[in-house]
Amino acid sequence: MARLFPVRHVMGYIFSLVLSLVALGVVFWDLNVTAGLTILTVCAVIQASLQLVVFMHIGETSNKRSLYLNIILAVFVGVVTIFGTLFTMIWGFR
Amino acid sequence: MKINDTLPLEYSTEENSNKVFGFWIFLGAEIALFSTLFAVYFTLWNRTGSGPSGSELFELNGVLWETFLLLTSSFTCGLAIHAMRLNLKKPMMIFFGLTLLMGLGFLGIEISEFVTYVQDGATLQTSAFLSSLFVLLGTHGLHVSMGFLWGAGIMLQIKRHGITPETANKSFIFSLYWHFLDVVWIFIFSFVYLKGLM
Amino acid sequence: MKWSEFFVTGEPMIYGAMVSIVLVSLAILVGLTYFKKWGYLWREWLTTVDHKRIGVMYIIAALIMLFRGGIDALMMRTQLAAPEMKFLDAQHYNEVFTTHGVIMILFMAMPFVIGIMNVVIPLQIGARDVAFPRLNAVSFWMFFAGAMLFNISFVIGGSPDAGWSAYFPLASLEFSPTVGNNFYSLALQISGVGTLMTGINFIVTILKMRAPGMKLMRMPMFTWSVLITNVIIVFAFPVLTVALALMMFDRIFGSQFFTMSNGGMDMLWANLFWVWGHPEVYIVVLPAFGIFSDIISTFSKKNLYGYKSMVVSMLAIMLLSFLVWAHHFYTMGAGAMVNGFFSITTMAIAVPTGVKIFNWLFTLRKGKISFTTPMLYAMGFIPIFTIGGVTGVMLAMASADYQYHNTMFLVAHFHYVLIPGTVFGVLAGMHYWFPKIFGFRLNEKLGKSAFWLIIVGFNVAFMPLFFLGLQGMTRRQYTYSESTGFGPLNMIATVGAFVLAIGFVVLVYNFYWSFRHSPRNEGGDPWDARTLEWSTPSPVPVYNFARVPEVHEQDAYWYSKKKNVPLYSGEYESIHMPNNSGQPFILGIVMFLLGFFLVFSWFIPAIIMGVVTVIMLAWRSFERDHGYHISAKEVMATENKLRGDSV
Repeated sequence: MARLFPVRHVMGYIFSLVLSLVALGVVFWDLNVTAGLTILTVCAVIQASLQLVVFMHIGETSNKRSLYLNIILAVFVGVVTIFGTLFTMIWGFR
Repeated sequence: MKINDTLPLEYSTEENSNKVFGFWIFLGAEIALFSTLFAVYFTLWNRTGSGPSGSELFELNGVLWETFLLLTSSFTCGLAIHAMRLNLKKPMMIFFGLTLLMGLGFLGIEISEFVTYVQDGATLQTSAFLSSLFVLLGTHGLHVSMGFLWGAGIMLQIKRHGITPETANKSFIFSLYWHFLDVVWIFIFSFVYLKGLM
Repeated sequence: MKWSEFFVTGEPMIYGAMVSIVLVSLAILVGLTYFKKWGYLWREWLTTVDHKRIGVMYIIAALIMLFRGGIDALMMRTQLAAPEMKFLDAQHYNEVFTTHGVIMILFMAMPFVIGIMNVVIPLQIGARDVAFPRLNAVSFWMFFAGAMLFNISFVIGGSPDAGWSAYFPLASLEFSPTVGNNFYSLALQISGVGTLMTGINFIVTILKMRAPGMKLMRMPMFTWSVLITNVIIVFAFPVLTVALALMMFDRIFGSQFFTMSNGGMDMLWANLFWVWGHPEVYIVVLPAFGIFSDIISTFSKKNLYGYKSMVVSMLAIMLLSFLVWAHHFYTMGAGAMVNGFFSITTMAIAVPTGVKIFNWLFTLRKGKISFTTPMLYAMGFIPIFTIGGVTGVMLAMASADYQYHNTMFLVAHFHYVLIPGTVFGVLAGMHYWFPKIFGFRLNEKLGKSAFWLIIVGFNVAFMPLFFLGLQGMTRRQYTYSESTGFGPLNMIATVGAFVLAIGFVVLVYNFYWSFRHSPRNEGGDPWDARTLEWSTPSPVPVYNFARVPEVHEQDAYWYSKKKNVPLYSGEYESIHMPNNSGQPFILGIVMFLLGFFLVFSWFIPAIIMGVVTVIMLAWRSFERDHGYHISAKEVMATENKLRGDSV
């Protein structure tokens, strides 16, 4: 039975539950927007990386450089799309 | 077919290893897709027109259950792959079954949430904010639904053929997809619901 | 819905088109039956998973679309030839410039580029096929379904009329109430998904299926350009997918993304469109850069100057291409900060492009140049593209752009970039690699005549537009009065357009002539070229490489020829091949119908088609298809026959 529940996976699961709870805190603690968004971003990014590394085994093959590069590029494009859109459509709009 | 024994079963042929690699690239494209949906949502989230805003609409209770179910299903999905690598068919099937059941539970809650919204008069047509909300959540929900059908199909194949290089490969790729949906949900949970209620 | 709304009525030209479509379809059906070619067509082409045949089908489709888009262009030029022409009315003109743009970019340039990729890439890297041959066929049929869906709008329902960029609010249901823009969103969506799958397929192929010894920095430049192009495809096309889906939701399901009320934001469409649209420009231009690199190096008998800087500059272009999109709408009202930022990134992208131009020039320097048809296109490309690039930098300056934004100056600029940068590239590539697939070369004399007609026609057609634009003639205006003084330059441009058209006719006539008269048996390497694909016999056997080549250097085949190092060693082995399948073709039909029903909001048939799609995916998942093997003996027999017992 024990070998069906490897420690890495169990720890990963508990850790992601904890991170979700911390993120939930922003609703109840009285924070300003910047602090709230910082907590949310940090928790979400850690959780996403946790899924990638622990559950999706991104680093287990000889392709891992290409795989990380793929994710980095995708995140680059994603971030550019999100912040670029906000920049052109809202923040930088006259 | 050349079989490489030094790698886990799902990578054992060149074709299978290419499939895993190709799927990772597909996930890269999915990241770009959801980022665009988030970009749309962030641009439109306070353009509520005459409709309700997020903080008036969101119910924390259902969302927490959804999050819990999806996180746990991601965990069991990881355990299923772990069992597969130990070549244990029965535990693998049980973990996969649990994963899909929790996915179904997630979908149930999401659908009832949508029904409540619509009953409250918050529809796709009401405002730009609601359009972007429904399309962002709907795209994720559609992915989960497709994942459910796909996973069920793979379970049937494992039942029929056992853990072979082919079924192992399919299961592993499915697990990548399912974990990815969990990642997307984390961002929806944080930046749609929690930020909306903040 | 009445029949008179379903079919486009009241236009003599469209009636003519309907009649000719029916006649051509009938002729094809009758011809296939008479010559008993149905089985051949089905077995050898419609169900094929061979990358070479899929590539050829892409190119044929692209050529057909080139003529469809070209006729649109001639109609526009005829209408603008003189002041107050009555050839087209305003609505018809709107439809024509919209379909011209969409077809030329998405259904001509894209499939042409992808077709050449398909034909060449596996051969160039020493692979037997792409990574996922079946998926490749699906990509093609998705593209084809999208292209047909878009073209059918011409006679059924009405063409889109809001420009190829389909800006809201003009493209919204309120201002474009016909189904035309539904066709736009669905046809582009279907073929776009196909393109995305091509992108994934080729990245895996190039990264994982290269011949032993071919390190990344030994890859031919065309392979590099295709790798980078496909990375852009994979990360840019999802943005288009989302934008088109939102457009569909707005138009068919009444959502409020780009509307004028309830919080909608019409400018968001333009933003999303160009987040995809600018990388798209590089998707069609970069492969042409790769083609030119290979051709210039081959016909100068020199290795490419500055290989590393070529690669680095393409990587820089890839990253920058995602950072420049707002330069398409400087005048929309964004602040100085936004316009300043995008001005700078846009000008920066000229730097890596300039590096490439100099590298080509230095490759030519002191080379032993032979002016073949492909080389002529490459030589024509360099100066013309430079004019396009320099005017692009003019447009990049936000404050100056306010003067000539959306004028004919812009039209001239992007034709000066896209025609040499893409059309010349794919035509050069087509002439260059044609013998590899068919075993004979296109006639050089006809090829060169076509080239001179095209290049002269092109410059006569588009150079005047720069001046018209600076004089204040805007794009997309369907007529003008005599007092504007635009008449003479427009007439010159129209004459140029017709010369260009004659050039394309000669180009196609060249196929016919060469099929009948070109000398056969020129061997596998008629150009004395440098890369792996030329080490195979022409036409290439279905398995590409009888034995897997071993690569020691850049320009592997050249190295093997000059240093007498054999590329191939060892015994023939049996070769594993994928089976043909009719599923991709059927999926294409299903997608076409799904799109068609959604265009007209016929939801029940659309849902049925959606269910059929899911069933087909499941079918594929449950299918057990392990392909077949070609025995070593058979391989040896084929090789001996093709190589005349010389190897």
